[in-house]
Amino acid sequence: MMRTRIESHPATVGNNLNLLVTLGCAVLLGTAVLASVGRGKLFNQQNLLYVALVFYAAAAVLYLGFGIAGRESHVHFAWLATGVGLLANTLAAANRWYIAGHPPFSSLYETLLTFTLTLAALTLVVELRYGMRLVGTVTMPLAVLSVILMELLPADVHPLAPALQSTWLHVHVTMAMLAYAACAVSFALALMFLIQDRVPTGTFLAWCSAMLVVLYAGILIRADAAGGLAVAAWDPSEGREILFAKHTPLLVIIPGLGAVALLVLAALSVPLALYAFARWKRSDRIQEWANEAFFIAIFFQLVTAVVFMQRLRGGEYPSRQAPGLFTTSPAASPFIIAGLFAGLAVSLLYVMLAWRRPVLERLFPAADRLDRLTYKTISIAFPLLTLMIATGAYWANRTWGAYWSWDPKETWALITWLTYVAYLHMRIARGWRGRRAAYFAIIGFAVVVFTFFGVTYLLPGLHSYA
Amino acid sequence: MSSNFTSIVRRISLALSSLRTGIVLVILLGIAASAGTLIMQRPLTDPEMIRQSYSPATLRWFDAFGLTDVFHSRWFVALLGLAGLNMVLASLDRFPQAWRYIARPYRQSDPAFLGTLKLQKQIPIESEEQGIDAAERAFRSIGLKPQQVGSGRHRSLFAERHPCARLAAYVVHASLLLVFAGGITDAVWGYRGYIALSPNQQSNMIEAQGAPKALPFTLRCEGAGQENYADGSPRRWWSKLAVIEGGRVVARKEIAVNEPLVYRGVRFFQSGYGSTGEPGALRLEATLKSGFGAQEIVLHPNETVQLDADATVQLERFVPDFIIEGNQIESRSDQPNNPGIQLLVDSKNSGKTVVWLFPRFPNFAHADQSPYSFKFRDLQMGYFTGLQVAYEPGQWAVWTGFGFAALGLGMAFYFVHLRVWAVPTNDDRGQMLLWVGASASKNREEVEGRFSQLTEKIERNLAGDLDTRDGELAASMVTT
Repeated sequence: MMRTRIESHPATVGNNLNLLVTLGCAVLLGTAVLASVGRGKLFNQQNLLYVALVFYAAAAVLYLGFGIAGRESHVHFAWLATGVGLLANTLAAANRWYIAGHPPFSSLYETLLTFTLTLAALTLVVELRYGMRLVGTVTMPLAVLSVILMELLPADVHPLAPALQSTWLHVHVTMAMLAYAACAVSFALALMFLIQDRVPTGTFLAWCSAMLVVLYAGILIRADAAGGLAVAAWDPSEGREILFAKHTPLLVIIPGLGAVALLVLAALSVPLALYAFARWKRSDRIQEWANEAFFIAIFFQLVTAVVFMQRLRGGEYPSRQAPGLFTTSPAASPFIIAGLFAGLAVSLLYVMLAWRRPVLERLFPAADRLDRLTYKTISIAFPLLTLMIATGAYWANRTWGAYWSWDPKETWALITWLTYVAYLHMRIARGWRGRRAAYFAIIGFAVVVFTFFGVTYLLPGLHSYA
Repeated sequence: MSSNFTSIVRRISLALSSLRTGIVLVILLGIAASAGTLIMQRPLTDPEMIRQSYSPATLRWFDAFGLTDVFHSRWFVALLGLAGLNMVLASLDRFPQAWRYIARPYRQSDPAFLGTLKLQKQIPIESEEQGIDAAERAFRSIGLKPQQVGSGRHRSLFAERHPCARLAAYVVHASLLLVFAGGITDAVWGYRGYIALSPNQQSNMIEAQGAPKALPFTLRCEGAGQENYADGSPRRWWSKLAVIEGGRVVARKEIAVNEPLVYRGVRFFQSGYGSTGEPGALRLEATLKSGFGAQEIVLHPNETVQLDADATVQLERFVPDFIIEGNQIESRSDQPNNPGIQLLVDSKNSGKTVVWLFPRFPNFAHADQSPYSFKFRDLQMGYFTGLQVAYEPGQWAVWTGFGFAALGLGMAFYFVHLRVWAVPTNDDRGQMLLWVGASASKNREEVEGRFSQLTEKIERNLAGDLDTRDGELAASMVTT
C-alpha cells in the first residue's frame, strides 16, 4: 500500500519529508523540554543524549528519504541534523567527563558515547570532504542504535578502579574508537560498492534474511519448549538487575515471547527459502514472491518489537531459580532490544534498495572509486588497530605486569587484526579488487562488532569494565 | 638421492614462503584463537565449572586436542612458529628484488621503456636544452630533486621520492618478528608470580604458576595502605618496599597501581590489599591486682612484653570472630567482629596463667591466677599487600617491535614511491619531443593528479620561455 503511494507521488513525499522530520524533532524536543522544566533540570547528560538521539534519528530518516526520493535538499538537512546531533553528543560527553572527573572511556556506556561521537564526526568528514554522500544511510542508523543501547545501559558514574587510572588507557581507547569507526565507514563503503558492482538485489535479500534468521536464532537461545523466553529480572527501585548469585542475573520467563520470536524466524526463513527456490528454478516470479515475503516479515518484526517492549515493561513473571514473581525492564535486556532494532534498521535499508536501486546507483560514486575508498579507510583503520593493540599491551604491562594474557577481548582484537591482515595481503600482494575485497571488508566489520559487544556480554575476562 | 633431497627441501621452502601458505596460517590462527575464547580454558576457569559445562566425553576430546588450553598447546605454538617462519622466508624471498629495484634505479630511460609506463606524456620542444631546462624547473617546483643522466645529446632527467616506501612491508614484517622474539624470550626465560607481605615482613619466595620460586634478592614491606573514594570503593593502594641484597637495602620505593618497583628487571606491581585475620598490634591496660597504677602495653604476635621484674605477658591466641561450636572455639570470619584474645602471663610467683579477654563483653570475668588484670584499649588488625611479580626480559623487544611496526605501517600506507623521467627524443617526422613518464608504488588517482600538474608546469615553463624571460624569472622567484 505504502509502496504504491510513494511511487505515484514521489515529489510530494520528497517535499513533505523535510517538513515532517522538522516537525517530528520539534514535537519530541518540545515535549521533552516541557517534561524537563517540570523536573527542574534542563542541561544534563540524559537530556543532551536524548537531543542527540532525536537528531541522529532525524538524520537517519532523511538519509533514507534521500535514498528513496533522491532530493538534494534531504541530504543537506541530514548533514545539518547529523551536525546538531554531534554537537549534543559532544556536550553530553563533555558533561560526563566533567561529572565523572575522567574521560568517558571506562564502561561500555562511556565507550559507546565516545564511539557514537567518533562515528558521527567521521561520517560528516567522509561525506563533506570526500563527497561520499549516503555513507550516513548506514552509519546514522548505527549511531541511533548505539544511543538506544546507551539509554538502556546503566549510566551511573562509578569512580575509577585503581587499574584504570592511566593515561595509556585513554590513548588505548581513543585508538580503538578511531579504528572501529573507520572500520564502520569501510563497511558502509563496501556495501555501497556491492550495490554499484551490480550485485543482484536478490542476493542482498538472501543475505539480509539470512542475517536476520541468525539474529532471531540468537535471541531464541534463551527460549524454552513451552514458548517462553528467559530474560534478566530488573529491580526498578535499585535501577539494576536482580542477581541470583555473584555475577549471575536472575532470569524470569516471559510466556509467549519465545513463540513470537520463533514466528518471526519462520517468517524470515520464507523469503530465504523462496530465494533459493527461485535461483534453482531461475524464475523471476518466485523471486518477486520472495521479496513480498520479506516485506511481510518486516511487518512481523515491527509487531514483535512492540510486543517485546510491552511485555518487558509491564507485568510480573515467574523464575525457575527462585519462587515468586519478578519484574523486568527493557534495560535488563539491552542486547535483545538492540538486536530487534538492528534487525529493523537492516530491513529498512533493504527496502530502500529494493524500491529505489536506480536512484541509489545514480547517487553513489562509481564502483572503482568506492573500491579504492574502502581500501583507503581500511589502510587508516589498520595502523590504528595495531596501535590500539600496542597501547593496550603497554597499559596492561604497566598495570598487571603482563603485556599479553590471551583474555577474550585481547584475543578477539588479535582476530580482528588478523582478518585485516588477510585483507591487506590479498589486496596488495594478490591484487584482490572488487567483490572479494568488499566481502572481506564486511567480514572484518562483523568481527569488530563481535569484539566490541559480543565479547563483553558473551565471554568473561579481564576486560570486564569495557 | 641427494638431489632428490634438495628438491624436497626446495619445495618445502617454496611452499613455506608462499603468500597462500601465509594466508592459510593467518586464517588457522584466527580460528584457533577464537576456539580459545569460546571453549572454557583451564588456566582461567574453575575446574568445577568446566566439569559442569561439558560432558566427560566432550571434555576428554577437548583435553586430548589441547582445546582446553589452546594458547599453551604445542600445536598452537607450532602454528605461531610456522607463521613466523613464513614471514621470514617470504621476506627473504622477495627482499633482494625490492632492494635491487630501489638501490639501482633504471635512470637512463629509452623510449621503449617509457612506452610501457602507464603515466606518460609527450610535449613538443624546440631544443633539448630548452626541454631539459623547463623540466628541471618543473621538477623542482613540485619538490623533486632532478638528476641529470647522460651527457651531450643523450641527456635526460630522472627523479624519485620516498623510495623507502618500497621497503615498508619488510620493516613491518621484521618488527613483527621482533615482537615474536620478545614474546618467546619471555615465555622461556620470564616468569610471573605473586607475593603477599605484611608490614615489616620480608621474603624472597614468590608463588609462580602454583609453584614456589626463589628470587635472587629479598623484598621487605615497610608499610602499606588503602585510600578510599567517598563511597567506600578503593581509590588507591600503596606499599613501601625495600629490596635487600647481601644484607643491606639496595633499593626503596613507594609503589602504587601503575607505579611499579623495578629492580634488576624484576617488577613488583601493587595488585591487592587485605586483612590477614591476624592482629597487627594490640593495646592493653595492665593493672597489678594487688596494687595501684595501670600501665599501657602494646602486644604484637610472637612477642613477649615485660610487665615488671617478675612477670611477662604474650599473645597466645587470637580469634577474630569468636564463637563456640560444639566444644570447639571457632572463628566465623577473618573480620574482628567479636575478638577473643588469649594472653599467657608468666610470673615467678604464680607460674603460667591463661587470661581471656573479650572486648565486646568487657564484664566477662574468668577467675584466674594471674597477678595482673587486663583491659582492652585498641586493636589494629594485621593486613597484607598483594604484589604481582613479573620478570620479562623480552619486553623491550616487544616495544621496539611495535614502534617499528607503527613506523613501517605509516611508511607503507602514507608514503608513495614515485619515479619520474624526462627524456628528449624525436618523433617519426623529426619533431623534437620531451617524453615525460612516471611510475608509482600505489595511489594511482592521486599520482595521476600530480603527474598532470607536473606536465602542465613543464608546458607553462616552455611557453614562458617563448614569451618573456622576465615573467618566468618572477615566477621562479615566487616558487622558490
